[in-house]
Amino acid sequence: MSLLSFHLQRLLPRGRVLDSPAQLAGYASDALGYKSYRPDAVVIPADAEELVGFMKGARQLGVPVILRGAGTSLSGGPVAAQGGVIVHSSGLKRIREINVEGFWCEVECGVGLNELDAALKPHGVFYPPDPSSGPVCTLGGNVASNAGGAHCFRYGVTSNYVLGVEVVLLDGSVHRFGGPAGGRGPWREDWKRFMIGSEGTLGAFTRFWLRLLPVPEKVWTFRATYPDLRSIEAAIHALVAHSSYPAAIELLDPRGVAMVESSQMAVGLPKGSFMLLMEIDGPAALVDARVEPVAELLRKAGSRDVVFSDEDAIRQKLWKARKAAGGLLGQLSPDYVVQDAVIPKRALAEVLQLVYDEADAAGIRAVNIFHAGDGNLHPNFLFDSRVPGELEKVELISERLMRRVIEVGGTLSGEHGIGNDKAAYMPLVFGPDSMRLQWAVPAAFNPTHQLNPLKVFGNRCFTA
Amino acid sequence: MDPKPAVPDYFSNCTHCGFCLAVCPTYKLTGDENNSPRGRLRLWSEEAAGRLPQDPWTDFYTAECVGCLACETACPANVPYGELFEHKRHDHVAAGRFKPALALRVAAAAVARPAWLNLALLPARLLRRLGLPLHRFLFKGRPAVLQSTADYTRDLMQRHRPTGPRVAFLTGCLMEAAFREINFATVRVLIENNVRVIIPDNQTCCGAFQEHTGLEGVDALRAQNRSAFLPLDVEAVVSNSSGCGYALGKSLAPDKPVRDVLDFLGELGPVRRGRDGSTAQLYVDLPCHLVHGQKLAGIPINVLDATGYRWEFAPNAKDCCGSGGVYNIQKPENAGAILASKSAFLNEAEGAPVILGTSNHVCMMQWHSAGASGIVTRPYEVKHIIQLLDPGADFTIRGEVLASPAIQENTCAKGY
Repeated sequence: MSLLSFHLQRLLPRGRVLDSPAQLAGYASDALGYKSYRPDAVVIPADAEELVGFMKGARQLGVPVILRGAGTSLSGGPVAAQGGVIVHSSGLKRIREINVEGFWCEVECGVGLNELDAALKPHGVFYPPDPSSGPVCTLGGNVASNAGGAHCFRYGVTSNYVLGVEVVLLDGSVHRFGGPAGGRGPWREDWKRFMIGSEGTLGAFTRFWLRLLPVPEKVWTFRATYPDLRSIEAAIHALVAHSSYPAAIELLDPRGVAMVESSQMAVGLPKGSFMLLMEIDGPAALVDARVEPVAELLRKAGSRDVVFSDEDAIRQKLWKARKAAGGLLGQLSPDYVVQDAVIPKRALAEVLQLVYDEADAAGIRAVNIFHAGDGNLHPNFLFDSRVPGELEKVELISERLMRRVIEVGGTLSGEHGIGNDKAAYMPLVFGPDSMRLQWAVPAAFNPTHQLNPLKVFGNRCFTA
Repeated sequence: MDPKPAVPDYFSNCTHCGFCLAVCPTYKLTGDENNSPRGRLRLWSEEAAGRLPQDPWTDFYTAECVGCLACETACPANVPYGELFEHKRHDHVAAGRFKPALALRVAAAAVARPAWLNLALLPARLLRRLGLPLHRFLFKGRPAVLQSTADYTRDLMQRHRPTGPRVAFLTGCLMEAAFREINFATVRVLIENNVRVIIPDNQTCCGAFQEHTGLEGVDALRAQNRSAFLPLDVEAVVSNSSGCGYALGKSLAPDKPVRDVLDFLGELGPVRRGRDGSTAQLYVDLPCHLVHGQKLAGIPINVLDATGYRWEFAPNAKDCCGSGGVYNIQKPENAGAILASKSAFLNEAEGAPVILGTSNHVCMMQWHSAGASGIVTRPYEVKHIIQLLDPGADFTIRGEVLASPAIQENTCAKGY
């Protein structure tokens, strides 16, 4: 047994310590599968108390500490880029309280997003952020990356729903930022914002207090196809400004449509078309009255194929192409990189064209499936990391894309986080002064950068 | 059959998205990512690529897999996990990295020779017939001790002379040797529904046992079943055990469809049993190899309605019960923990009596063990759904009046 394992076992008498090569391999990457880094060890604390105990002794270990939920992130966030110990939160799975009257709940960081949804459902309340990894991802990961999802167009991202965060720092001190009573925690209310989207660089989350909303009485889902980018763009612009206040506006490009239609998930979308998916929800009388105007708007923008329904079974079918698309990428290609840039909507057609042109010129397949309402692009570049040169091509396209995104007034990431995948692009957006200030925050919480080094800032190394 | 590739591409379509974690019984149990499909695929592929040396932990995590295939249903990238896992398990056993228990090795030899198995398990049939329970896996039932399903079927076919669709019936190895009463009930239900049933004598075990244990011999069994079933002039081969049906389906594909008997009956619209005034409540569990292996939507609603019982799906009906073929023998602790969370609802379940219905004898054994091992403390019965459609010894084809000659639509409940 190595000295590290010996120390870890003392820190986690009830949890588990994994240190054999075959126990570390499974933790080598997140959902960005082609980038792998073998950690020195993995620990699975049995509960929050043990996590606190671990953090208290972690400084003495002299190796980086990386916090990890379900490892579904697409940014290379919860991986051991500089080696070290991965702390897997799968043991912290308690939903501690659902307060229906107060519209909040208290959950541990390892609770799965859809597990929480299932527990909330009988109470008629819901937690709005809905990243596509919902069946698996944990709330800890959601808060760390400030996750979004399809319905964030109307409902907003994770930070809009976090009332409070409990965090353990590397000295073992436990701090509560906010809580169900708003700003009455021991720290000032707004400090919790430092924690949301901090990507494991400040401390380890133990639990959260989350804001809930009443489940909408009625939901209508619409699907429309468009012959070209210009007409679907017109539809998006019209929807964004429309009084129906859509909850979600999603887009699948013709390459995505072709991918769905040539798979067993085919739903009969016209070849070469752009697919738009949108939803309205609210009180029945109100949303029912909005159905025809929305359908009319979609037709007017140029769709001859508008389908809509308020029945759950049919709505699920309408969503099917969108939901299936992400995984279908795996059937086409061994690896893919998905970018997460956010752009002003007026630049949509131009930036998408750039994606096609650059990818075509490099011989790389690109598929766009994204949250069109809030301009959150997800171009997926398909490649094979075993073919020399392919990854480099994808990285070059990504960089050119990012430069253009920033020129048109956009930014790097909408919901996936920076991780180590996008750290190199940070200086494209932020000037030296801004970088210096941002750097100062993790430096204040963990001066040696022992927590999740090489993430967010490409040169933020741990120095023992 | 296509020859097996020497080294399959273990990471083929996997995008490492992690959707399999949420449905994997061993990940849920341990919270260890290596103990999930994504983790195992990573270990196998790293080892195949020479980046990971042979490691006892790889063997451990491979052996931990129940083989429920829930991950195949959850996988958006269609990774053929079951096939890869089967290949890997076979390799591990062949290379001595995993050694199935002696009892299982003996059993594997026995199931390949159905006549031996029938003889060896004659005492088990006798004791079950006499109502003497001798093992936690042996659920209640009254099998014929000497008469085989094939003989019984020939007699019934002579007596009733059905005129409807022709099917061949897989009688199975353990099913025939120990739980023959379910086969008898299956034949009665099929004939009552005007189905002509043929039982080829030269059929053998479906090979699922070898697949579950990773032991040699599956190819020979598959070949024998192909020669037994393929020449027959039948609409389909039916099976009353979802695991066996899944395994036989792989053997006969693409030449002959293998249908689950309940799914087949769903299309015909089976004769309904009247149970007016019954206070019993049926809880329906769906075997993994039915929904994740054969990829059926579930057990058809009209079939469940035809049992005449008030019924509902068991909570998390599509999740594994921990049986996993021989998993409950190889990994009893895990299997017990999975079963404990799955069967806890029975302690509070309403109904007198409470019946747990499923469609795989191995799942029935597992469910029965919940009572025998004290996980469930109230009385309940474990039944195959086909037994709940059983007209009994005296019946006529469709009650002599064809109640519903038109083929009914095969519908399943929403979400199942």
